[in-house]
Formats: sequence, structure tokens, C-alpha cells
Amino acid sequence: MSVPTAAPTVRKTINVACSVEQAFETFTTGIARWWPLATHSVGEERARTAVFEAGVGGRIYEIWDDGSEHEWGSVTVWEPSARVVFSWSPNPDREASTEVEVRFASEGDGARVELEHRGWERLDEEGPSVRKSYETGWDTVLGHFRSAM
Amino acid sequence: MVTYDSAIDALGDPTRRAIVERLRRGPSAVGELARGLPVSRPAVSQHLRVLKEAGLVADEPAGARRIYRLDPTGIAALRDYFESFWTDVLDDFKAAAEAAAAPTTEEERA
Repeated sequence: MSVPTAAPTVRKTINVACSVEQAFETFTTGIARWWPLATHSVGEERARTAVFEAGVGGRIYEIWDDGSEHEWGSVTVWEPSARVVFSWSPNPDREASTEVEVRFASEGDGARVELEHRGWERLDEEGPSVRKSYETGWDTVLGHFRSAM
Repeated sequence: MVTYDSAIDALGDPTRRAIVERLRRGPSAVGELARGLPVSRPAVSQHLRVLKEAGLVADEPAGARRIYRLDPTGIAALRDYFESFWTDVLDDFKAAAEAAAAPTTEEERA
């Protein structure tokens, strides 16, 4: 008997009254204009601004008043005005991160923006994604095992 | 982002995710969990302690053994946290994206 648990995977959809281009730019490279740093950051009141670098490999991080940088993740998929996927790991001590995908599509006079935060594990689904994260987990565990020998 | 930090930390470890995945199929004793995982039994016990402190698993005695099971309330709480986190983020994003678009409309009207 398996326990019916709610998966931590979060899915959200909103509509914005602007173009997909505007939505994409605002969400990504324009992040400093709007991200709620005081309440949604590592440093909270110490955080001064956030940076979202464009392109695959782009770093996403916050900068504190003392100038120090604190990583949130990095870009793994960059499709301007369509899709961005980035790793999400705002604590440097954690060896594995989750993933956020944001999709942009024109809808009516504006844009539909869909966000999915996933990767913890599928607690209520079975399938390839579970096995894949399971395998990745094994690789990491075995890697540490090997290097410890 | 310090709320539910212990639960996030707990799930950030691949071995602990593997343990949670096994417990999803049903309650289990430590020995059974350790079998088939490439870590020692004491390591599994330590991982279970972390998961328990994070409110993700619970245990109860069964004779000389302890049986572990998933605690759905801890997982649901973690999900609730992220649900509200991203709601707040998207609300601010929407306001900024639409504000950037607005001046153009005003120019067209002028």
C-alpha cells in the first residue's frame, strides 16, 4: 500500500498584459526590477539586487550590501520569448538542486506564463522521470563512494 | 528562504530521496531500507534522523525494530511553502511586466 502524498512539484499559470518578448525579458534579465528580495532571498534585508544572466550557463544570483554574491542557480535552457529552464539551489551546501521551467506564449492581447518548479521527486507518480532522478542520485552517491576510497 | 529549510535540505540529498522513494511504496524498517542502498546501515539511520527532524518521515516501534513511514503532513507543508513562494514571485513579476508595457500604450494615445 503506497501513501498518497502531495508532490512538492509546483505548477502556476498567469496571464500578463504585455508581449511575450516583454514578459520574457522582465522575468529573466530584467529580474532586478521586480524580484521581492526582502522576503524571497537568502540574505533578505542584506540582499541589494538580483542578477539573471542571459544564455545557457547564465548565472542567477543575489548580491548583498557587502558586495558578496549568492547563487540561486544557472540557466540550462534559453529560448528567448518561449522558454527558460534553470536549476534552483539557493543554498550552497546542498549538492543537488531542483529545476524551474518557465514557458511564455502569446495569448489574446497578452501573454500566458507557466511556471513549473520540479525535481524534488515524484512522490505521487511513477515513471521515467522518477527513474531518471533515481539514476542521477545513484551516480552522485556512487561518485562520492568512489572518491572516498 | 529560511522557512522549511530543513525539509528542503533533507530532500536535497539523493540518498534521502531514494529512501523517501522506497518509503512511498510502504513502511519499512531500517535494515530493509539499507539493503539495496550503497551506504551503510548507520548512514541510513542518520539519513532517517534528518528526514524525521524535517517532518518528512515518522516512525514507531514494532517489537525490537523501528518502522519508518512517510509523513504526508511534512511533504504537504513543504509544497504549501513553495506554492506561496512562487505565487508571491509571479504577482510581482506580473506587475513589473505590465508596468513596462504601459508607457507605450500611453504614447500611442498621446
